[in-house]
Amino acid sequence: MPTPLIEIHDLHKHYGSFHAVDGLDLHVSQGDVYGFLGPNGAGKSTTIRMMLSLIRPTSGSIKVFGLDLTSHRNDILRRIGAIVERPDFYNYLTARRNLELLGRLSGADVSTSSIDRILGIVGLASRASSKVKTFSHGMKQRLGIAQALLHSPDLIVLDEPTTGLDPQGMVDIRDLILELAADHKKTVFLSSHILPEVELTATRMVIINRGKAVVEGAVQDLLNAGRLKVTIETSEVPRALELIRATPLSSHIQSSTDGAIIMMMEREEIAGLVAHLADARIPLSAVSPVRSLEEYFISLTQEVS
Amino acid sequence: MIGTAYRVEMSKVFSKWRTFIGFIALGVLIPVVVAAMGIEGGQYLGFATQALKQTFDFTGNLMNGYTVSYIIFGSLYVHVPFLITLVAGEVLAGEATAGTYRLLLTRPLSRSTMVSAKFLATLTYTNLLVVFMAAMSLGLGIALLGTGEVVVIRSQITIIAENDLWWRFVLAYGFAALAMTTVASVAFLFSSLVENAIGPIMTTMAIIIVMTIISAIDIPIFDYLRPLFFTNHMNGWKFLFDDPVNWTKVSISAGVLLTHIIGCYTATQIIMRRKDILT
Repeated sequence: MPTPLIEIHDLHKHYGSFHAVDGLDLHVSQGDVYGFLGPNGAGKSTTIRMMLSLIRPTSGSIKVFGLDLTSHRNDILRRIGAIVERPDFYNYLTARRNLELLGRLSGADVSTSSIDRILGIVGLASRASSKVKTFSHGMKQRLGIAQALLHSPDLIVLDEPTTGLDPQGMVDIRDLILELAADHKKTVFLSSHILPEVELTATRMVIINRGKAVVEGAVQDLLNAGRLKVTIETSEVPRALELIRATPLSSHIQSSTDGAIIMMMEREEIAGLVAHLADARIPLSAVSPVRSLEEYFISLTQEVS
Repeated sequence: MIGTAYRVEMSKVFSKWRTFIGFIALGVLIPVVVAAMGIEGGQYLGFATQALKQTFDFTGNLMNGYTVSYIIFGSLYVHVPFLITLVAGEVLAGEATAGTYRLLLTRPLSRSTMVSAKFLATLTYTNLLVVFMAAMSLGLGIALLGTGEVVVIRSQITIIAENDLWWRFVLAYGFAALAMTTVASVAFLFSSLVENAIGPIMTTMAIIIVMTIISAIDIPIFDYLRPLFFTNHMNGWKFLFDDPVNWTKVSISAGVLLTHIIGCYTATQIIMRRKDILT
């Protein structure tokens, strides 16, 4: 069992009768790229704010690096770099000056050369001396990532890090997250609405809804569990449909077009169906089982709702 | 850590244009007043001492740097608080408005350290403004109009000799620093309660105006409230130009102001410790 880096137990945050977070449990291991998913209002940002001690929990415990957040706040924050929601900065200061001041407060020795290096990594080297008020949202987002990496933290908390970025920017950030985890052994806690981003980067994930964890586990295990959407491409759709309807899989048929049949089925059932169609000499051009995170996310959050 | 946080706060305060509004305003106004006093100050003083001239002979340079500084001190005292609230009211609320609490408070910096650093930066700005006001009015006044005695006309007339003035001015500006720090502390407290800098600025000025009005209305019920208002003690510096100085009154006024400063600072610490950062 890997060392838990973040342990959240029975976390609650109540605003009057509204329970923003309602008994949340989380375990993030060292080295994980941990996807933190949920619909709007699920409690993601509230949880992140509690993890970073911006909000006081109503009850429950948060441990990071094995230390209790309440009693070791500064020791923990010294090892965390974070972006929380919008990337806001001191607009009247330059990008470099913002990082210099934040670096001083980070408790680490952040040199001018390391600031320039980080600005280069996020693609802002040429705008280092520009005031932040002249930056676009995407540039501020990049600067947000720069300030999170500034003091070489062990845990990086990214709340919607690619919002406002152009497609190339999104790819750059995705690659950066993968590089941080693989090459620098950083743990990344990634909250995002962009589900393919989580699917492509995260090793483990949790989906929360109404302040509670709905499902938690390794991304691939979760995607492989349950029924898949299978697209069977063939030039003989009517005959294939007739054959399938004669089997117990008949009820799994979702729809059909001129060239394909779409079914919802268990992974284990696919091989038998393919063999059955092949025996009947149905020409199959492709059989594509797909379970996207998006479909999984929607199915889970709808079930709970 | 507080030293680092203080230096960061000072960098931020002095990177903002609004910080220099006070210095620019005083830098323009004081030379204008000194020049005007140099040209027509004799008439002004003649009018003020008109009744006395029937009984006494006035000799020497009465419209001098000290007198001008004393007059400027008394009149700008009403307006400087507004310049101070411009900065003090924004110190905490500005972070909320800009959304930068999230940057600041996710650093290994306790909230009490952050509040203390910001409070110290506010005090530094406030006191620099008072020192600037003192240096401008005394320095420019003495350079242009020379030195001499000061005629203080209050409930009684006091003529203070030149060699008896310096320590009074030093203490008076020290008292002014205390009074302006009180104003800054009130604005600082309101700044912790809201997420927009306009609120603390307007509220602090409204409080000063309301307290000043209540203090001026001679109704018995207000007699109990008046001694508690900090505005009622901000003019305590004037006792330093009495002869002999009424040290009891000076001490009571200084004590009330100091109590307000400590109270506002403590309340701000408690509020910020419990505050959920939602911006």
